[in-house]
Amino acid sequence: MNIIETQNLTKIYGDFTAVSNLNLHIRKESVYGFLGPNGAGKSTTMKMMLGLTKPTQGTFQIDGKTYPADRVQILKEIGSFIESPAFYGNLTGEENLEIIRKILGLPKDSVNQVLETVDLAPFKKRLAKKYSLGMKQRLGLAGALLGKPPILILDEPTNGLDPVGIHEIRTLIKSLPEQYNCTVLVSSHLLSEVELMADDVGILNHGHLLFEGSMAQLRQKAEEEGFSTDNLEDIFLSMIDEDNRKRGAVK
Amino acid sequence: MTLSLETQKLKRSGYIPTFLFGSLIASAFPIANMLVRSENFVNLPGDPFAILTNTNWQMIAMLNTLIVICGACMMYHAEYADNASQKMDVLPIKGSSIFFGKLAISATALTAMIIIETVVMTWCACHWFPSFQFSGTEFLKSIGFQVIVTLPTVIVMLIIASTCKNMWVSLGIGVILVFTFSIIPQDNTILNLFPFSSPYQTLCTVSGNGKTGIFLSVCLIETVIFALTQIIFQKIRRRSE
Amino acid sequence: MNFLSLINIELNKIRRSKILLILLAPVLIMWFPSIINGEMNFDVRGIPITPENNFFIQGFMGMVWFMIPASLVICTVLLSQTERSNHGMVKMLSLPVNIPKLCLAKFSVLLILSFVQMIITFTAYYLSAFAVTQIYDYNFILEPLYVLKNTVSIYAGAIPMATVFWMISTLIKNPVFSVAIGLASIVPSVLIINTKVWFAYPMSYPFYLLMVEYGKAANGIYSTQIDWIPWLPVAIVITIIALAVSSIGFGATERR
Repeated sequence: MNIIETQNLTKIYGDFTAVSNLNLHIRKESVYGFLGPNGAGKSTTMKMMLGLTKPTQGTFQIDGKTYPADRVQILKEIGSFIESPAFYGNLTGEENLEIIRKILGLPKDSVNQVLETVDLAPFKKRLAKKYSLGMKQRLGLAGALLGKPPILILDEPTNGLDPVGIHEIRTLIKSLPEQYNCTVLVSSHLLSEVELMADDVGILNHGHLLFEGSMAQLRQKAEEEGFSTDNLEDIFLSMIDEDNRKRGAVK
Repeated sequence: MTLSLETQKLKRSGYIPTFLFGSLIASAFPIANMLVRSENFVNLPGDPFAILTNTNWQMIAMLNTLIVICGACMMYHAEYADNASQKMDVLPIKGSSIFFGKLAISATALTAMIIIETVVMTWCACHWFPSFQFSGTEFLKSIGFQVIVTLPTVIVMLIIASTCKNMWVSLGIGVILVFTFSIIPQDNTILNLFPFSSPYQTLCTVSGNGKTGIFLSVCLIETVIFALTQIIFQKIRRRSE
Repeated sequence: MNFLSLINIELNKIRRSKILLILLAPVLIMWFPSIINGEMNFDVRGIPITPENNFFIQGFMGMVWFMIPASLVICTVLLSQTERSNHGMVKMLSLPVNIPKLCLAKFSVLLILSFVQMIITFTAYYLSAFAVTQIYDYNFILEPLYVLKNTVSIYAGAIPMATVFWMISTLIKNPVFSVAIGLASIVPSVLIINTKVWFAYPMSYPFYLLMVEYGKAANGIYSTQIDWIPWLPVAIVITIIALAVSSIGFGATERR
């Protein structure tokens, strides 16, 4: 069963097409890896799902609800981490989360729980603007995880983290569907990373969906096309490369 | 080169629109004043241009000062907001050349603003006062005087903006200074020579008192002194940081 | 999410922002010189006014003409900047809150801040009136009810202006530009107050109210009657339009 579906989702800014006829199918309680180079339209797609930007064309359903009619209902179910860093610099990490907690109407101890989850508890009294890049990233993640929402939308959550942090966050994301019964949509520009976390993968380039399917299907495709299955990065790069070449030819 | 660089930095910062907007609003004062209650002024004795400056320049000068403050804050906000100034510090240019580039731009913008305002006031004089005789030298003298008496304010504001990395602090200081000096009585020459107070002086009043020379020379000296202060100040700051 | 807790959240967001200093500084700058120049109140320059009324009017004049509007401009822009500087607004928009409600909650914070400033002004008036009374051995202290009535009416008169500034700051993203527009709009109020169309210019409302009070205290200076018509309907229409526009424009740039 799909919890998020999009039909011909398109976003055009002026004469630039950021997302073009996107049809995504995200299964409930799975981790969906959203893959593509920088500027492929991953963030724009996520922003549309959160109602941060209006689709030019097309529709989407999240848990059977649509935007803008059910905006508040949709947002109640989604924890999001988008456009980092997003916080109030004059407040401490804890106070930032406190604001989100109040809006979501969660119990008081949820803030401490989530601070433990992302390893920020020792720094919770520090001003958010004094955080290092990795700590800001963790704060953003904490804001998304707060209240264990059934859907998580995470835009490049491992950006700016150190190798240990990256590993921790990946493990955390992978464990989320089992732990909280939630669905995760996570974007990345590294296939190696998506491979470690995701059940399904969607590959995006210049706003077009080049591939959608399970990791197994991607491996199969790689095998058929003669790429090594040990290193899926190759097939990703070749798909992007081929698409770019086609575009060049069209131009 | 610095000048073109500094101009480039102001792209899309709203700097030119701010000055344009300021001069338009300021120009609207004399026109509105004449439209609404010209009968109060046309029959007054004396030079029409002097009548117009006497009734309007207080407000225009205040507006000019406010716009100068905002302009200075904008310029340095662009430097500090995303740590661009840090990058500037590690590039092979002099810190003072950045400051003087900004000063040159501010002075030009101020001059443009004062020219627009003077043109509009001259137009008002032509339109409402049949006795008005246009004189090119008087026109230029008036512009020159107003620019020079406003220069110390411009440079002081730039120093404040370059010192405070938080734009709101410099903005707050500027607004408070404007207000404090705007309530100073107009008949105290020494206080009137201070930055933030001298812009309120008009050529016709000052020349009537025979103090044109004092105002021009003191304001120019102030400008030079503040420029030197800035150079020394920057050297000290470099060393202490 | 009820409105009161939203306001509470918005108040939380301005912690450590030094916004109270911005409210306090102008009041001090206004009243401190008025203590030093206390004796000027005896020199009424031919205006039929008592020194104690003169002290009150002159002190409040600076507040209504410049300091209250200027503090409002800076506070509005500061409030919208706390949202924009680190993308806090983006986070807010991706949380389940009603956006116009959020906008109104933020505006209420502005009104609360302005109210705090009025309390500070009121207190500062009595402190400085007490000080000059002691210095010159002449009773400068006016009746609390009179001062309170005026402070409250000035506060109420400042609300339409606050909505307009709020609208400007939600519509114009560049903080300095919106401050520039706000500050520039204050200056002409001294001109407009003497014209027949003052009621169309919200920035002059508090000034107008004090001028009427001046007129009452000193015969012949200004009108002694408030022209409720057409003022009241115009002010209400301006307030509603400004609030509606800012509710629509709130967060629009983040939702492009």
